Amino acid sequence: MLLNRTLPLTPVLLIAAGLTWMACPQAGADEPKPKPENTISIQFGEPVPPQKFEHSPKFWIADVTDRSGNPQPMLVMKERGGLFLDKQPTAIVKQAIEQSLKAANLLAADQASADLVLRVYLFHFGLAAGSGLDFFGKVEFSTMVKNTKTGESQEVKAVGTSIAKGAVRKKSMQKNVEEDIEEALHDATRNFLRGTQLKEAVEALSKGADVTPAAAPSGGKPPSK
Amino acid sequence: MRIVMVAVVGVIFAMGALAKPKEGTPQYKTAEAKHFATAEGVELSPAFVDYFYAELRAELTKAKLVNEVIGEGEAVDDADAPKSLVISGTITEYKKGNVVKSALIGFGAGFKSLSMDADVIRRSDKQNLCVLHVHVKVDPRWNEKVMAKGAAHQMVKEMKKALTEGTKPA
Repeated sequence: MLLNRTLPLTPVLLIAAGLTWMACPQAGADEPKPKPENTISIQFGEPVPPQKFEHSPKFWIADVTDRSGNPQPMLVMKERGGLFLDKQPTAIVKQAIEQSLKAANLLAADQASADLVLRVYLFHFGLAAGSGLDFFGKVEFSTMVKNTKTGESQEVKAVGTSIAKGAVRKKSMQKNVEEDIEEALHDATRNFLRGTQLKEAVEALSKGADVTPAAAPSGGKPPSK
Repeated sequence: MRIVMVAVVGVIFAMGALAKPKEGTPQYKTAEAKHFATAEGVELSPAFVDYFYAELRAELTKAKLVNEVIGEGEAVDDADAPKSLVISGTITEYKKGNVVKSALIGFGAGFKSLSMDADVIRRSDKQNLCVLHVHVKVDPRWNEKVMAKGAAHQMVKEMKKALTEGTKPA
């Protein structure tokens, strides 16, 4: 009785299993691969002039860490054959900040000669979920600014956004996405270098450096109670 | 006759050229848009607030109301502060809408709706230049980010109107 009920279902199950098996390699084949025609290069363009600091400290970027949690950070867009970056987002962000600091003569020659060391944590780089009618570019990072002498550090957040027109043609789409990310990167770098958070951090850390030698005991003994 | 025609065309062009810079010169130097806060009970994702912030900045740039649209928390020169704006606000209400109601009744019933209040203040003395109330409605099947786009557009339009009216001599 039970066999009579299950037997007509068997071909259906077999067809379903077959379709699933056929779909699996198909899904793997749809996974976009980086090729020269679907790879974009993000150019930072003109460096951002940073704000004026009282003591003009020298900065050094120790490292940029990817904290986006994205397993494929170079894949900007999965649809329409995929769109890839030619470099790691961490390298692009480091280059952008370094370029701007160098142009303003605020970049130290090496870590040892720097007053403030920057450690950048990148949370988002590329496109974010938008309305579907346009491209929403977003670059977000947080930086730990550390005084090399005192060891004190402060966090500075920066975010850059850009909205670009949507496109039907693939070439126009690539161009618009490229411009969108470049704009968002420029905006984030500007937000970091011209932000009040960085100004306050530099002021606070410079104060710490001024106070420390006077407060520290000359003999190197720990302060008594 | 030809000379008269050429002269008339010339005058029209000259008038156009004279009128254009007047319209194109922004009244303010910088505008800083802040991320909007959400009132209690408003169920919108932080991604929506982020997107609205980006859209608002894009609309401000497009409207040519200011020379430069700066990011949140960016420093402004003291000399530029009297001609700088800061826009902040709150999303006061969000209704998800109802697809069935919209399909059966129509005429705007069951639409998603969003209300927000914004303050435009002058950076130097924190004087409130205008208060804006924006209310947008969209089809419930549409992405909520489309609503952000509409709200940003409407907000900048109202802001431009309010600021232009405010500076007109009585």
